[in-house]
Amino acid sequence: MVMESSMKVACAEIPSPAAADTQLLPAALAELYSAHSRAIYYLALRFLGDPQKAEDATHDVFLKALRHLDQFRGQSSARTWLYRIAINHCKNMVTAWHDRHVLPSSDHEWAERLPAGDSPLRILETKELGGRIQQALDGLPEEYRLLLLLVSDQELSYAEAGALTGQTADAVRGKLFRARKAFGALFVKTE
Amino acid sequence: MKQQNKFTTGQEQTSQNRAANSGELNFENAEDLLRHDAAQTLVPPDIARRLSESIAQEPAPRQSWWRKLLS
Repeated sequence: MVMESSMKVACAEIPSPAAADTQLLPAALAELYSAHSRAIYYLALRFLGDPQKAEDATHDVFLKALRHLDQFRGQSSARTWLYRIAINHCKNMVTAWHDRHVLPSSDHEWAERLPAGDSPLRILETKELGGRIQQALDGLPEEYRLLLLLVSDQELSYAEAGALTGQTADAVRGKLFRARKAFGALFVKTE
Repeated sequence: MKQQNKFTTGQEQTSQNRAANSGELNFENAEDLLRHDAAQTLVPPDIARRLSESIAQEPAPRQSWWRKLLS
């Protein structure tokens, strides 16, 4: 799989996390929001594919978290707990809106369409990169999209990603292999 | 660090070198690219403001009848 684009770009600066606004929030939520809002917003953004919906979802997730803060017993990490709320919420949003396109139903179909091999992704221009990533993610089955988003979070292990998606860590590894290839194939087409 | 079991040492080094002199970005895999994308994504400040407004409108937790009786 060849992952090259012919665009030119300088490396963009990484913006600082949104922390200044947390002073508006109650202390119990401010800490959670400061530590996890970027991860939750990013999951919602790339899972839903719409900044406004992602904003609504992030708002709703943290409001739900505050309402149910007494139910969080520390058996999982706060990040995992928030992800669980976010995944359920985003899936409900998708189901309610019925605005996703039809996707192939099985892993087998996907595997047959994927090119052999794997290669690094080389990006020469970050302009429109977000749009290209979104386009590639939108073309993936929901499960692949979700797995890639979860395992790209360095705070989450395969076991935790598996727990959030109802499967074992080994199953995550297997599907991740196919998800990477599928994403790569779709990403090339966005050039 | 939990993430360590996801990559080989070589892969980690490649990822770390992605912003090399050429200005070209190299990503070992999709997760690496998504991680970069996430780091570039700014959380809209409006969310915190909306949250604080929503919290202000939340009804106070209901007190049970026996607590009211005892208070």
